[in-house]
Amino acid sequence: MGTSDGQVLGVTKIVDAGPPEKRWNIVIVSEGYRSDEMAQFATDAKQFADTLLAAPPFDRLRAAINIFRVDVTSTESGAKDPKKCNGTGAKPRTYFDASFCANGIRRLLIGNNGRVTKVVGKLVPQWHMAFLAVNSPVSGGSGGPVATFSKSTAGVEIAIHELGHTAFGLADEYEYYGGCSSDKGHDKHSKTEPSQPNITTNKDRATTKWRDLIQATTPVPTTSNANCKNCDPQPSPVAVGTIGLFEGADYFHCGVYRPEFDCRMRNINRPFCAVCQQVIVKKLTPFLPV
Amino acid sequence: MVARKSSRKSKARKTAKKTKPAKKTSKTQARKTPAKASKTSPDANKAMRLTFSYDGDDIKLVSQQRTDMILPPSDTVKGYGSYKGFWAEVRSGSDKTLYRTVMHNPTKNDAEVFPESPDGEISREPAPKRKGVFVVLVPDTGKGDDVILCRSATETKGPASGLHSLAGKPAKEILRLKLKK
Repeated sequence: MGTSDGQVLGVTKIVDAGPPEKRWNIVIVSEGYRSDEMAQFATDAKQFADTLLAAPPFDRLRAAINIFRVDVTSTESGAKDPKKCNGTGAKPRTYFDASFCANGIRRLLIGNNGRVTKVVGKLVPQWHMAFLAVNSPVSGGSGGPVATFSKSTAGVEIAIHELGHTAFGLADEYEYYGGCSSDKGHDKHSKTEPSQPNITTNKDRATTKWRDLIQATTPVPTTSNANCKNCDPQPSPVAVGTIGLFEGADYFHCGVYRPEFDCRMRNINRPFCAVCQQVIVKKLTPFLPV
Repeated sequence: MVARKSSRKSKARKTAKKTKPAKKTSKTQARKTPAKASKTSPDANKAMRLTFSYDGDDIKLVSQQRTDMILPPSDTVKGYGSYKGFWAEVRSGSDKTLYRTVMHNPTKNDAEVFPESPDGEISREPAPKRKGVFVVLVPDTGKGDDVILCRSATETKGPASGLHSLAGKPAKEILRLKLKK
């Protein structure tokens, strides 16, 4: 169990934009890969890097971003998958002890993040964002200081959503908690303005957070939820990419607004909306070569 | 290494307990965009990596580590007195905010649950008694004296009771520590 169940082999820079002191540094760490599976991890890490750097706005920030791969072997393959969450009951011996069913939630996949940050800190002291890539086909993931994802079809998309939270302080833009059909008590957001840059309670065109991006011809609010007891079922009344104030975000049906009808912070497998992209670009601009 | 009480701020706490509110500002100031990068960016390529552990609502500093690296620019340093959420600030000796980084609350007591398919819905589930670590990077320019963490208190009644994700009150300072010199 733990560090006796594997070995830290070393670090490889797989995307080189310059010295780590001057760039934004992402580190991808392997979990649940046996020593004979490290070539597969190299492939998986490259696929992750390619997907991330193809996603706007990262596609135009490539010159700012280094990506490192940290090879850590595990004695056995995969992640723990407890039966109490209807998993397989597998208990592989892995270096970071990653497990599904964290807090009793089936798809909540977490490793020992303290151990991950120690390993990453030794090998890439200038790290800004760490990912734990878990060698399991079961869908799962988690956010926090280490964004954790599995090899399921949604894995990389989950990781990029979590990157939005951890590295850029972006809020969730979905307007429900457990689900639109099951929510109770999520009718109205408090009037307190959220600190996150991509949600607001302020529907004043002249002062709202992303006012500079709202065209004069776009109605504000752009959508209003007619029944705050439920999620708003209406389709977008404006063209895709229109920036405005769409009611429903931050786990509440009403009283809080998001900038576009859809966004990666609302649904995975979508691009970041323009406001989220703007935040990311502002945060990463200092890392671009002069 | 632990968070230390500021001699100037006698009410500072090592752990996440009720302390003084974040500075209040006018409504006009508070409504300015927090996403906009201020001019108060790190003026040197030196950073301090602060690693915290948390266990429920209890937060402790684990380590401070100096690193030569660039940081993202500060979120705007003005306003936020009436904002909700979670953020870290570097404060000067006169308690002026020099750097602010808005964070997705790393001490949440619920979890995001992802769908099997990329086209499915994300949702959340309560996950009480969570514990773990989180990291805050702040500029290490010599001008900052203290680092503070601010967080909204949770509701005590109703469906949002106890859940940080659903907290609707303005954030308050929950921890203050001295930056290593």
